[in-house]
Amino acid sequence: MGKGQRATQVYRSTEFIEQRRDEDGLVLGGDPFKLAPSTSASLLESEKADKMNASAKTNPKANAIAKVHSADDSSGELESVPTFILVTTYLSYLMLIVFAHLRDFFGKLFYPEMYVQLREQNGFAPMVSDFESLWTRRLYGRIRDCFNRPITGVAGGHVNLLERVSFDFNRSFEFTGRVRNVLNLASYNYLGFAQSEGPCADKVEQAMRDSGITQASTRAEAGCSRLLVETEDMVARFVGAEAALIVSMGYATNALNIPALVSKGCLIISDELNHSSLVSGARLSGATIRVFRHNNVASLEEMLRHSIAQGQPRTHRPWKKILVVVEGLYSMEGELCKLPEIVELRRRYGFYLFVDEAHSIGALGKRGRGVCDHFNVDPREVDVLMGTFTKSFGAAGGYIAGSRALINHLRLKSHSAVYAEAMSVPVLAQVSSSMRMIMGEDREHALEGQQRLDQLAVNSRYFARRLAEMGFMTMGDPGSPVIPLLLFSPAKIPAFSRECLKRNIAVVVVSYPATPIITGRVRFCISASHTREDLDYALEQVSEIGDLLLLKFHKGNVDTERIARINADIDANNISV
Amino acid sequence: MDAYSAEAEAAASPAASNLKAQDSNQGIFHAVWTFSFRMVLRYIKNSYKDDPFRTFLEICLIGFIIWYITKQKYNIGNNEIVLSEKEIDELVDEWKPEPLVPELTDFEREILDKAVIIDGPNGTKVRLASGSNTKPVVNFASYNFLGFLDNTDLEKHAYETLRKYGVGSCGPPGFYGTLDVHMELEKQVAAFVGHSAAILYSQAFATTLSVIPCFSKRGDIIVADESVCFQLQQAITLSRSKVYWYKHNDMADLERVLKDVNKQLVGRRGKKALPRKFIVTEGLFQNTGDISPLKDLVDLKHRYKFRIILDESYSFGVLGKRGAGLTDHFNVDPHEIDLMIGALCYAIGASGGFCCADKDLIEHQRLSGLGYCFSASMPSILTVAASDAIQALESSPNSHLASMRENTTLLRTLLKRIPGLQVDGDPESPLIHIRLTPETLVRMKRSGGAWTNTDIKRVLMELSDETQKDGVLFIPSQYVDEHERLLPNPSIRICVSAAHTRKEIEKCAHAVKSAVSRVTSKKR
Repeated sequence: MGKGQRATQVYRSTEFIEQRRDEDGLVLGGDPFKLAPSTSASLLESEKADKMNASAKTNPKANAIAKVHSADDSSGELESVPTFILVTTYLSYLMLIVFAHLRDFFGKLFYPEMYVQLREQNGFAPMVSDFESLWTRRLYGRIRDCFNRPITGVAGGHVNLLERVSFDFNRSFEFTGRVRNVLNLASYNYLGFAQSEGPCADKVEQAMRDSGITQASTRAEAGCSRLLVETEDMVARFVGAEAALIVSMGYATNALNIPALVSKGCLIISDELNHSSLVSGARLSGATIRVFRHNNVASLEEMLRHSIAQGQPRTHRPWKKILVVVEGLYSMEGELCKLPEIVELRRRYGFYLFVDEAHSIGALGKRGRGVCDHFNVDPREVDVLMGTFTKSFGAAGGYIAGSRALINHLRLKSHSAVYAEAMSVPVLAQVSSSMRMIMGEDREHALEGQQRLDQLAVNSRYFARRLAEMGFMTMGDPGSPVIPLLLFSPAKIPAFSRECLKRNIAVVVVSYPATPIITGRVRFCISASHTREDLDYALEQVSEIGDLLLLKFHKGNVDTERIARINADIDANNISV
Repeated sequence: MDAYSAEAEAAASPAASNLKAQDSNQGIFHAVWTFSFRMVLRYIKNSYKDDPFRTFLEICLIGFIIWYITKQKYNIGNNEIVLSEKEIDELVDEWKPEPLVPELTDFEREILDKAVIIDGPNGTKVRLASGSNTKPVVNFASYNFLGFLDNTDLEKHAYETLRKYGVGSCGPPGFYGTLDVHMELEKQVAAFVGHSAAILYSQAFATTLSVIPCFSKRGDIIVADESVCFQLQQAITLSRSKVYWYKHNDMADLERVLKDVNKQLVGRRGKKALPRKFIVTEGLFQNTGDISPLKDLVDLKHRYKFRIILDESYSFGVLGKRGAGLTDHFNVDPHEIDLMIGALCYAIGASGGFCCADKDLIEHQRLSGLGYCFSASMPSILTVAASDAIQALESSPNSHLASMRENTTLLRTLLKRIPGLQVDGDPESPLIHIRLTPETLVRMKRSGGAWTNTDIKRVLMELSDETQKDGVLFIPSQYVDEHERLLPNPSIRICVSAAHTRKEIEKCAHAVKSAVSRVTSKKR
């Protein structure tokens, strides 16, 4: 299978889009690289793309080599889906949808009372439309047991799962009363700060004794405590900005702050795979929204040039501001944004840059300071640094950091500061204590933070390399603590999750609509709290499941190029795996 | 060689081929051409004789096909100007964006400088890290209606929770972020309110922002009170539904709007499916302190077939015999409210919000409620704090509610006696907006000129500074002025708590009285 013919590319890297356009004869309006002789970076890319196109046309062997080269150059992954997988995946979905409609048809015929809420009743329109809910009822419903699994206790390296069973095909669940301790490869506990003991928990308890639990007010009114102000200063110091604003919920950090930055007459240029909260924020702002291809700097540059030149639609007035919104680490793909190139573009085009570091802050970079640290980019080159505390810090909520002028403005005008509840005391204490530990400012535990960072770096690379060596098809950049493994077929998605659970491993599987329809995947979230034994156990079990479900698409033809990339990254970062 | 390829070749390059070939080709071409021409002519003649209408139709069809093929496929670029690369470069160089954020005005800087910073726990008595007052002040600014912030018994449980669950849940509810305490609190809230099921969100603002767009989509209809709080305004915007506004708490106007909407829909029926229709309002209005007449709303709901989305963020825990909100207050079956949104961060003194609805609608939100599906679940400590608070309220409603109401009545009576002060809101509302009466404002202006919004705010800020010196804390209500649909008149929001003593209430009234007289005596 792995040797089979490659039919389509899962991943779209910069170079590849150009190449495919050529092959299909669908070149739309010229090469964007050639349009942009402005920056040295894009010039280089342009030459690269030209060479690639030329070699792709001349002979197929060169084509294959070009692919390897381009994988070295771009951080985007080049993975190909064997035709057989592609066809069977589409066929499976087709079959599922046909059966879904059949079941609906016969269901409505024989059990009309079960479909009452989908029909107009008594003059009221149905709350959920029949068509919209087909996916939820008939496809998601089949695999509901793989999601929303309730837990108890701490979501650390291991987690206590409340066992549940369903006797009515996942319509409802009953708890058996048993609690199962399973290896946790699902929670975003990157640095292992999800703990109920230890220095952080002690600090949290002390803070609650000193300052109570909550404020029952907004930050702009009576919810601003000294602890909050101090933690905000620490966050600013941590990310390397002048000031910061803390918001009590991660989703709200984006949804309620973007409207304070841009408005009608402004333009938001957003990566196509941006998180839902960014989309909500952009919509609420009233600004025009345009989308560029995922992680494709050329597409971004083309859009910038086009937008600046044309101005606002219809009136052709110049845009008031342009805000480019990207994520630091895309959690569904395990991919990093191309920050250095985007910062380069920012210098040329004068847009404002918003980087969402929900997953990367604390987890990436030698000092854990996120993508800027990882790429050695000065954080002041990014206008708005946003991140959350849910993941690496074992807390909740989020922050916005940037210049003092920006934060002063947000303290007065941000919807979250003025209308939403202020951050609670225990969460603030968890943020400040864990952050202090990462920065090495906690004298009693001066080295622990760095140890956790190093452990995460080792664990994530080890796990990614071993998976690649086993012949699995994985995605993402080396060093990403999220490692997606491609499953494709809709039947394998729940099967993988259930098999893992049988072997006492908790994993997250995702498929459409969170990912493109054919690339259903499982995501492994690696943590500093995983020991080598934990990882080895998981790898051994995953390997068995891989054999069982025929997931080793690269079997006998191991993805050497990916392994080489990971090894190069390991060498470059001086990590001993 | 068949005739078609010969024809193509002849048409493509007659000059390029050699003479001989051209000759023979032309011969064949000529024969085919004459033959086919005759055929076509005869066909047209015949069909014209038989059916002229058909010929006409066919000509139209051919014309349409030609038009369709040649027309521009996409209309997007119609308005765009074709520019050369050099021109684009020049435009890029020329473009100067506005600064990311505008500079602060003097007044805004003043607000920031005077921002209250609380040192230590929040509650009815707080120490301030800002300002010159070192003694604790009595707090009337936090939404601590039931006094749960002052209840130290509830904190003990929080320490135990910390030692069992840690702080964060490290994931959204869908991905191992659902804790047993979340499920318990959901059941508890639903039972307390008397609804079928409930779902928890980790922030009150995000609750409204998720629930309304989850059900009301593009093409659906929302009829909303014009004084609803900002959270609801934003949720309505995000839903992209068609929205109609009715006058604040005016049921006659609401009925007029509902009739209008239904009249418009009559014409549309048959063509399109019936849209979902909602009435959106608040239980206890944050911006006015008024209470919605629920019985009338339910009556209108059935008469005009609208569903009710009720935001009980400020009324949950405050109104009703048991403190279960507006339905409890009016003794209405909670099931009449199709989507009931509540907050746990105000009266309950924890964090987050919830939505109560039928079981199916709750399950739908677990996948489609954006704030639920795409953000981490509520920290366990806050969940348990909310659960304990609701339990305390349930087990002894009188100890909390009775004293809160007593305090409310007392403060309202005392405030109403102060000359020059306007006291707004329902007599039962512990959320009291005070403003200076228009006459007072007119009297204060030396030249009789008009008051701007900022002027009034400045006066209110002075007023709250004065009371702060007397040991009473409240803060002028904050709004993002330019984003509010109808900016409420500037006011000071006073929140009465069950934990305030009679003495503190009297102190508050006294401080307001002396501050008002001091502020209004100054001409400006």
